Amino acid sequence: MIPVAGAVSLNLSLAFGILTLFSIGFYIRNNDFRLFLTGQRLSLASSGLSLIATIILTNELIIGNFDLDYVAHYTSNETPIIYKITALWAGQAGSMLFWLAILSLYAIVVVLQNKREHITLMPWVIIVITIVQLFFLGMTNFVTNPFEPTNADFIVMNGNGLNPLLQNPTMAIHPPMLYLGYVGFTIPFAFAIAALIKKDASSLWVKTIRRWTLVTWLFLGIGIILGGWWAYLELGWGGYWAWDPVENASFMPWLTGTAFVHSIIIQEKKNMLKIWNMILIILTFTLCIFGTFLTRSGIMSSVHSFTASGLGPLFFGFVILILIVSYGLLYVRRDHFQTEKRLESFTSRESGFLFNNVIFVVMCFAVFWGTIFPVISEAVRGTKITVGAPFFNQINIPIGLILLFLTGVGPLLAWRNTSKESLIKNFTLPLIVAFLSAGVLLALNVRGNAMMTLALSSFVFTSIAIEFWRGIRARTRKFDESILSALFQLIRKNRSRYGGYISHLGIVLMFVGFSGHAFDIENEWGLQIGSKETVGNYEVELAALSEVERPNHYAYIADLNVYTTAGEFVTELHPEKRIYFHRDPNPDKRQPHSELDIYSTLVRDIYSIFTGVDPKNKVGYFKIMINPLVQWVWIGSYFLIIGTVIAMWPVRRKKYELE
Amino acid sequence: MNSKNKFIFAVSGIILVFVVWVYWVSTSPGEGAKSMVEFISIEDLEDDYENERVRLGGLIQDGSIQISESNLLDVHFMLDQDDESVKVHYTKTRPDLFKDGAEVIVEGVYNAGIFQADMLQTKCASRYEGDLRDESDYNMDEVEI
Repeated sequence: MIPVAGAVSLNLSLAFGILTLFSIGFYIRNNDFRLFLTGQRLSLASSGLSLIATIILTNELIIGNFDLDYVAHYTSNETPIIYKITALWAGQAGSMLFWLAILSLYAIVVVLQNKREHITLMPWVIIVITIVQLFFLGMTNFVTNPFEPTNADFIVMNGNGLNPLLQNPTMAIHPPMLYLGYVGFTIPFAFAIAALIKKDASSLWVKTIRRWTLVTWLFLGIGIILGGWWAYLELGWGGYWAWDPVENASFMPWLTGTAFVHSIIIQEKKNMLKIWNMILIILTFTLCIFGTFLTRSGIMSSVHSFTASGLGPLFFGFVILILIVSYGLLYVRRDHFQTEKRLESFTSRESGFLFNNVIFVVMCFAVFWGTIFPVISEAVRGTKITVGAPFFNQINIPIGLILLFLTGVGPLLAWRNTSKESLIKNFTLPLIVAFLSAGVLLALNVRGNAMMTLALSSFVFTSIAIEFWRGIRARTRKFDESILSALFQLIRKNRSRYGGYISHLGIVLMFVGFSGHAFDIENEWGLQIGSKETVGNYEVELAALSEVERPNHYAYIADLNVYTTAGEFVTELHPEKRIYFHRDPNPDKRQPHSELDIYSTLVRDIYSIFTGVDPKNKVGYFKIMINPLVQWVWIGSYFLIIGTVIAMWPVRRKKYELE
Repeated sequence: MNSKNKFIFAVSGIILVFVVWVYWVSTSPGEGAKSMVEFISIEDLEDDYENERVRLGGLIQDGSIQISESNLLDVHFMLDQDDESVKVHYTKTRPDLFKDGAEVIVEGVYNAGIFQADMLQTKCASRYEGDLRDESDYNMDEVEI
């Protein structure tokens, strides 16, 4: 009974969505304001119904109603309740509904927040959002309905269960974060299209979407980082990024989104780059839809193995439609968005932003090229080619280093033009530090990209430190504050600027972490109890091997002792080999899973994988990796997140606070 | 040169350098191009691709997995692709889903009748896409929750 209510909610949501379009469409023709108010309410109703459908599906997952195909496929009686909930986005139908739910949530916020604001733009904003909603409503209603009943000819007593790889707290929040990011770009996109239609080149709406964009961009970033973190902690290949098509799919909109959050500052402050910003936001939104398409179409073979489905052509059509309509509109309206002001000099903050933007887009294109190359190659030459991580690394490392360099340069440039004197004054110290660290690194035999990365990191770090130091010194002199309170006040009074610097610091630290990859060492062998093997400067000993049965799996547990080659004890590691569904009489349905153990320090991680076990002979097979500096990637992420939160934190508008 | 042209010139320059760079990485014999590997069929393998780095996809033939007694990491198995099959040798850590009938992708070099793989990926777990379990297939009483 209740599942029927879910399906009906989805039907009604679709109907209300169509009515929203009619109502607002007639308002735009007749200018009868009551129609607009009706349209707003219809839009809220449509969004609300989508949310109700999502809540109903979640409830079915929790109570384990295996009469629903989706529930039977992604949960089982043994699945813990939290993962019954996360099964909502484990499969295709559910994740489409989840996309829709988040968009509906955003739509409700936007409609309520702007009831009396942006009166000229809002009708079109609602129309654009509703069209996107209708696309996903069409999907969930007609193509991949999560409320589809089970088509087995027996009563399903137990479902398939959630893939154990997905039974991890990080994995519980990674997809929602990513989706919050993907979906959120719909809102700035809707405003941009509305502004294009209404020829509104003012920067008023830009202010409104700037915070939206930052929040969305932050979610997307957190989603990507969590994905990497999960891969590192759970997947057991010792890395956090593999340039897999699905990873790239989330990285591309992040890149253009990053360009957009920078260049929108120029539009807000200088009313420049308006057409460029339109190009970026349309591109970013399209890439978000394209990302969902890549993930769901099965066009790419990927570790994120989703089954091929009929969604592909529909998504592809939608992407093409968005591109043609949006860029067509932009072309028609281009004269209204020209700027009179021109960039004046290469050494200005504006051109710093411009070049940063160009490089971000270039990098996005490089990733795009590598990602779709197999498809193009197959279509043009008939040969399937796979593009591996080394290709992406080789192509992107120099681009990344240029971006890192610009991170340091940009903030040191003045608006409009930077004088020669201030160039010398600002760059001397960071350059000296960079060359000194390059020298030290070469002396330590660190070469190539790792050396470049670390030297540039020191350059950017110094330039950020100088900015903070100048601000702090000015305050301590002027207000007689202590250094700490000056730092606090400095950030508080100028959130977007210093929040930005803190994010940049995060990026620098992440690059430091990336550079460690050049020094990764790994080894794999079988160990008997008491025997030892060497990896890098470490010795690994298998001290004991035990077995235990737990509620939903059977585990072999290894006790490894790690020593330095000098014989000094470092740590114990306890990787596990688990068998899920071990009670299943059909051996094919039992699923092995390696639970890692990692000893993590600021200098290096010792990463252990229990790859196989031979219980008869008491031999365990292990892969041990020494991964230097990985922790800095996560530390940098915290800075990136904290900095962004500071930058977007609302400023209380009190007059006396204006300095 | 006025300032607008100056910037168009600079941006075009960047894009040109970038295009050359992408072309160079894609074609020059570096790490990047080496990682662009052709995905071929077993049929083509034996004729044209001996000693060349390629990728194969297929199913592990039932009962063909032979794990060495002395080294559990050392495995031979037959990779099936419709009617064709090839013997694969692999000595690294196997993914958890490696078993009879699993769909795998291997990358490596074919030489003298054996495909020496140094990369092996399993594709999606059939368990999560396959048939639903019925009562006879699964004994509920044994499951502790």
